[in-house]
Amino acid sequence: MRKYIKFLFIVVVLAVFGLLRIPVHKWSRQHVNYITAVDDHPLNCLSCHMYTQKDGVIAKLINADYLSPFNMAVSPDGSKLYVIAQEGNTLLVVGTETDKVIESIAVGERPHSVVIKSDGNSAFVSNQWADNVYEINLTSLKIVDTLKTGSGPAELVLSADEKFLYVVDSYSSEVSIIDLQTRTELKRLMAGNNPVAATLSPDRNQVYVTSRRTLAMPYGTPPMTELTVIDAATQRVKERKIFENAYIMENVAFTPSGDMAIATLIRPKNLIPAIQVERGWMMTHGIGIIEPGNDGRIIQLLLDEPNAYYSDPFDIVITPDGEKAFVTHSGVDFVTVIDLHAIRTLLAESTAEELDYYSNHLGISSRYVIKRIPTGANPKGLVLSPDGKYLYVAERLEDRIAVISTEEMETIKTIDLKGPSRITVARKGRRLLNNAGFTFQNQYACYTCHPDSHEDGLVYNMAGKDMGRNLANVQTLRDIGDIPPYKWNGKNSSIYKQDGMRFSTILTRTESFDFDELDALVAYIVTGIKNPPNLRYNPNGELTAAQKRGKTIFYRTHTNCGKEIPVENRCFTCHPPPFFTNMEMADVGTLSETDDPMLFDAPQLNNVYESAPYLHDGRSATLEELWTTFNDEDKHGVGNDMMKDQLNDLVEYLKSLRDAKYYKDNIETYKADINPE
Amino acid sequence: MNNLSRIFHKAIKVLSAILLTIYLTGSSFVEKDIFPEAGSMPVYGNWETFTRKDGLPADKAYCVRMDGDRVLVGTSAGLAVYENDEWRTYTVEDGLAHPGVLSIDVSELTGDVWIGTLGGLNRWSAGRFETFTQFNSGLANDVIYSVICDGKDVWVATGGGAGHYNTYTREWGIYTERNAPMHEPWTYGVCAGDKKIFIAAWGGGVIEYNTETEHFRDYIDPDGEMEIDLFADDGVVHDITTGVSHADGILWVATYFGLSRYDGAHWKGYFDHDSGLISNFINFLKADGPVVYLCTDLGLCGFNGETWVTYQRNENDKKGKILITNGSETKKLVASTSISHNFVIGVDFQGDEIWLATSKGVCRGERVK
Repeated sequence: MRKYIKFLFIVVVLAVFGLLRIPVHKWSRQHVNYITAVDDHPLNCLSCHMYTQKDGVIAKLINADYLSPFNMAVSPDGSKLYVIAQEGNTLLVVGTETDKVIESIAVGERPHSVVIKSDGNSAFVSNQWADNVYEINLTSLKIVDTLKTGSGPAELVLSADEKFLYVVDSYSSEVSIIDLQTRTELKRLMAGNNPVAATLSPDRNQVYVTSRRTLAMPYGTPPMTELTVIDAATQRVKERKIFENAYIMENVAFTPSGDMAIATLIRPKNLIPAIQVERGWMMTHGIGIIEPGNDGRIIQLLLDEPNAYYSDPFDIVITPDGEKAFVTHSGVDFVTVIDLHAIRTLLAESTAEELDYYSNHLGISSRYVIKRIPTGANPKGLVLSPDGKYLYVAERLEDRIAVISTEEMETIKTIDLKGPSRITVARKGRRLLNNAGFTFQNQYACYTCHPDSHEDGLVYNMAGKDMGRNLANVQTLRDIGDIPPYKWNGKNSSIYKQDGMRFSTILTRTESFDFDELDALVAYIVTGIKNPPNLRYNPNGELTAAQKRGKTIFYRTHTNCGKEIPVENRCFTCHPPPFFTNMEMADVGTLSETDDPMLFDAPQLNNVYESAPYLHDGRSATLEELWTTFNDEDKHGVGNDMMKDQLNDLVEYLKSLRDAKYYKDNIETYKADINPE
Repeated sequence: MNNLSRIFHKAIKVLSAILLTIYLTGSSFVEKDIFPEAGSMPVYGNWETFTRKDGLPADKAYCVRMDGDRVLVGTSAGLAVYENDEWRTYTVEDGLAHPGVLSIDVSELTGDVWIGTLGGLNRWSAGRFETFTQFNSGLANDVIYSVICDGKDVWVATGGGAGHYNTYTREWGIYTERNAPMHEPWTYGVCAGDKKIFIAAWGGGVIEYNTETEHFRDYIDPDGEMEIDLFADDGVVHDITTGVSHADGILWVATYFGLSRYDGAHWKGYFDHDSGLISNFINFLKADGPVVYLCTDLGLCGFNGETWVTYQRNENDKKGKILITNGSETKKLVASTSISHNFVIGVDFQGDEIWLATSKGVCRGERVK
């Protein structure tokens, strides 16, 4: 009898499975089709439900903590390489003879740059997500001091006498000058928008500071990006050099004679309807040259070729003899070698009109580009050995340093920094996001418009059915995994859809990602892109008096006159925590004549302070303008009853908003804010 | 050619100064005896006037600010900068918020120039104009009567309250009758001193803001009379204040009804009928060390607590008039050069130079030694 029962049980189970198989498969197919917007994506539950885990044991098992080498410095005798491991939160000391990591020094959150004093005894490391600089004794390898800076410290420059440290504050767009004798910040100078790099001129009289984002320009005008010149004697800004039609000036270097300062840059064509990619109609990549001795003449030259683009130029170094420059292209995994003698000749023999023409000339690079050296994934920082014979390249997404002979212009070896040996799915996705290989002739990567996986501050005309319509303000990729739909018009219900077939038809004009690649890209976007801590406006969760008043306004239900605000017109209805979006479509009265009739996806507000300009078409340069200028009918919340100081308070509160995790961890508090009863 | 012209210009100035001195004193040049009545008060002469024909964008000048080797002048038609003996004008096309420039200050920390206009506030930094308005920022109001830099902080007196901008945190504060002891939001002047901010509030006397305690207090006219100062030295002479300046621990307050001096314990009032003050109608004032200069509708007054020196223009013969008053005694002198106009709106002084903004031109005076 028992035998029969067992047999019967097995039969029943198999029958149930058999019966369910068809509907489950059908449901799964429909589910995957909906998510991916295609009907042939493999049915693999793990790809979506395992690799996108952000927390917990599974997330720990499937992900890995990579080092991500970023910027570097070399010791005065050349025996040691100091490598910033951006995601390892360490400073790695690498022996250049042994090619081994000698020491790993724990530093602050998200280190950015390192500078070594001339005696080689101490180093300064900027911690971009901690708003400070560590001083490290390189003999004891211990942190000996912490210096407070502005927001988002990036590149560091020592003054000629090494008594002052210039700190580029990338988030607050300033340069902090720190007196190294008193260990205090003397002043902050206004720099360009989102400055990141700086260098001391060979005569040591000036500090050049590059910036990435365009200055706030009149709406609908091309980007203009600033290179700030600081007079080292007066410690004041002496000049602001403007690069027209350019942005993302990641780094700058001087020739030893000081006849040129050269910065990397990108020339976006964001205002042109994106009906064509070829011939550089979306992005071109190159260098900006300043000739200090020639009335500060500014020239832009491309490093691209007519049918090959070298996207996302990042770092630049110049050999001690002033003859060659090396540029990393983090979007195509190459280092370009530039013949500076050829550049000088070109500049000497060209008229201003010719040089202006060359700034868009894809063929001119053949006159001065002498070699393209392939590298590992996502090459970033460069540093030369003191004798100029070796070039070290930080291959960020390889956890590796490439060593290039500057004479042979070949990679002669690589140094493994001993990060995790396996490549996780999310890491693969990150490589894809940073790589331009999927766009036409490698013209741009996802990263190009989303630097640091954020947004580039530009408005694009992504031509749909009509040209010149439906302008789109680039949105951040940070923390977006849980907040569909995507695009301002909410047409893409998932990241799969956004980055899958729609990406290929709209953006790349070439083949789309294969299914494994798409899974990886989604895994990275969902799990790997954090918002930086909002140290500038809300460092510890304790709101200022103005922010508290602003919070009250954000959660108010009645106007100043006591009239009840309709539920659909309250701030927190469309922008509830933790993401400060209800993920619904709404009409906030901002549809313009050039927009098709549509509703707009309520954007998330985490770290909203760093996402100017605002609104779907970027017409609002500041948060204030949302209500002073673009809310005539009180459709974007009720604002016209507010006094100016109330609006200021509301803006202060909005600027205080942090990453979603903070609110998720304190969800009860915010539920109480929404519903005090 | 430029250098030759500059040397020639300097020589003319030196010669003019010598001649002026001889003319004024009527005697041979003896430095210490030039103006014995003036005591320690500097006396300026050799006035040189600049108008549109000299390169100013307009004759009506609202403010002047000396900044090292250059002079910044706010006019009704833009910002004028005098450098290397030449004027250069910056207008709305260059990025100025509004052509009417009412106030200017320079940050000692950064060298950035902050410009208060009739249509917003500008930060002018190494050639780049950044505009703050009541629409694109937390600025209280676009009419900026006064702007000052106090370390990393910028304070403005506007038609819609006093405003504070922290250049590090980018936070704006607005102070009006809603959150400060003011009668109405119209503020006219602002100055800093002794870790305090003083605001000249129209109808509200002087508002003091302690930057350490973040508390306000006000100084109003105790007698409350709008026509007369009923009780002498009982407080600020009038509730309608037009300017404030703090130096050497002394707060000077300008009104259209006289001058007040406050040493932290006692107030003292000065009027045209009982002192050397040439007019009770004071547009603006600026103090440095023991000396305060008062811009009135009848000329410029300088005062150091003892001696008054007044500069006027005689419209009949265009000559200058200098009045030196000690107590009840006034000595009148005639000078060959004069200030550009008696309606003086702005003043600044550094070293041996003084610059005035008037309703008809800008003028520069040199200290007579």
